[in-house]
Amino acid sequence: MQLSDLPSRRTEAWKWSDLRAAMGGQETTLIGAGPIGGEGPIAAFAELMGDAYAAGAQVIAAPGEALISSMTEGDVGQYGSLVVKAGATALIVERIAVSGSALRRILPTFARIEVEPGATLQRIVLQRNDVPFGQAGATIVRKEAVVERGAGATVREFVLGEGAKLARIEVSVDAGEGAHVELNGVYLAGAKRHVDFTSRVAHGAAGVKTQQLVRGVARKGGRGIFQGKFLVARTGQKTDADMQHNALLLEEGAEIFAKPELEIYADDVACAHGNTAGQINQDAIFYLRQRGIPLEEAQAMITRAFLIEAVPEWMGEELRGEIEARIDRWLGTQA
Amino acid sequence: MLELTNLRARVVPEDGPAREILKGLSLSVPAGEVHAIMGPNGSGKSTLSYVLTGKHGYEVTDGTATFEGEDLLGLEPEIRAARGLFLSFQYPMEIAGVPVMTFVRAAMNSQRKTRGEPEVSAPEFLKLSKVAAAKLRIDPEMLKRPLNVGFSGGEKKRLEIYQMLMLEPRFMILDETDSGLDIDALKVVAEGVNALRGAGRGMLVITHYQRLLDYIKPDRVHILSAGRIVKSGGPDLALELEKSGYDQFLKGG
Repeated sequence: MQLSDLPSRRTEAWKWSDLRAAMGGQETTLIGAGPIGGEGPIAAFAELMGDAYAAGAQVIAAPGEALISSMTEGDVGQYGSLVVKAGATALIVERIAVSGSALRRILPTFARIEVEPGATLQRIVLQRNDVPFGQAGATIVRKEAVVERGAGATVREFVLGEGAKLARIEVSVDAGEGAHVELNGVYLAGAKRHVDFTSRVAHGAAGVKTQQLVRGVARKGGRGIFQGKFLVARTGQKTDADMQHNALLLEEGAEIFAKPELEIYADDVACAHGNTAGQINQDAIFYLRQRGIPLEEAQAMITRAFLIEAVPEWMGEELRGEIEARIDRWLGTQA
Repeated sequence: MLELTNLRARVVPEDGPAREILKGLSLSVPAGEVHAIMGPNGSGKSTLSYVLTGKHGYEVTDGTATFEGEDLLGLEPEIRAARGLFLSFQYPMEIAGVPVMTFVRAAMNSQRKTRGEPEVSAPEFLKLSKVAAAKLRIDPEMLKRPLNVGFSGGEKKRLEIYQMLMLEPRFMILDETDSGLDIDALKVVAEGVNALRGAGRGMLVITHYQRLLDYIKPDRVHILSAGRIVKSGGPDLALELEKSGYDQFLKGG
């Protein structure tokens, strides 16, 4: 693999996240970036980065177990697979903290997760960026997960993305019969930050219920990307799916790109989607200011409330608190 | 207390040409008085309330507006609020994700901060809230819900007056507070408003109809037409209007 093998803006699925251009200045010459879930490129990438790709290694989550991982610049990539056994519930918290360090600046992870029939997976991805606001940093985050689920399984995911030089957090779900999928996320695209949420849910069996709610904000010089795809095969009858993406452009010069896609081959389904990108309602801002709340606080209050609607209850107080603190930090409402 | 002299203002839409709405409006409301502004649709009633509170998209081209001797027009909306100006909106905004009490407490503390006063403590705030809610017969559970989201028209108006009681403004502008209220709710709301009448406070009650003025008795009544006050009088003027309509005052006006 060489730099020229990387996807660029000429590749449809990467048109807003030009990995080749972002990688151009990196000393490392390549990165595994084939189609999502591609075994070959991932393994090749791991090898070339000097990481151990544990092809056969599997972690089996004990019932009720919480698995926590973290990585930052300098860490080797994380590649692995996980099984959540039938009837069990597993919580996975994956933290990636961009610090701006000059150590190895590519943070790749790849996970293959199997959720057995009746099992529940709760997955939380927290991609932080602690580089001072307005500074670019050179770090690239590339996160992929493939989730395969058995009949009646539940998958709940929440992703917080604070972006990097380029950050792409990608998930692909293959739903089993009667499965329940919730994919939520919040992205915060500050100046010179790029954050890309790409997801795909395949409804190949009957009676799958899928809900997706992603909220994002971008400031001047920041770029937020949402690419969501629901695929409903001919065998995916009685699918009930709803995809919502709403973004706020906080300043002139902020960028949001969105591509919601529904591809439906079954005839007895309910699929809805909504996609909005706009500015904060000025009438709402005026209402708050008329009550005495200063302009910047009014904007932060409304933006915060907008984002927090996408933070699910199931995460529990502690993790919700952590995410709210990150949002407050980003909005500048926390010292 | 509130002095408007020859006020001219236009609305400047984001798309489209500016239109002059207020065309030389003069008005004086002394402290302790309640004045009613009545007028047909399009006469400039809501524009007046927005110009006084500093809404975006409205531009004053001539004249002056002072509040207790201070030029109002140069102040940001939140500063005007801290000085004691309160607008009860004709159409209150729905603010998703912000519970009523959180919002009102933030507003109260922002105003206090601007005035150099200490913040309200949590117990003190809860006490005030309990009293205000009881006075307006508001279910305390409602105050935990996001501001105005899913509330009926009447509930929204009641919540405006709740905020007014909590913030204790010096000068209140009620913009069509009676619209969307049934007669029982109207009485409750009027009681709440009347509780704030007093020596140091002024009030501008904007309405189409006499009905509200049966419960909030004005000291003066002004008829607004085409951006100017065309007639002023005592409370009887409102009754006269109710009986014979606006036309008699508008002809040639």
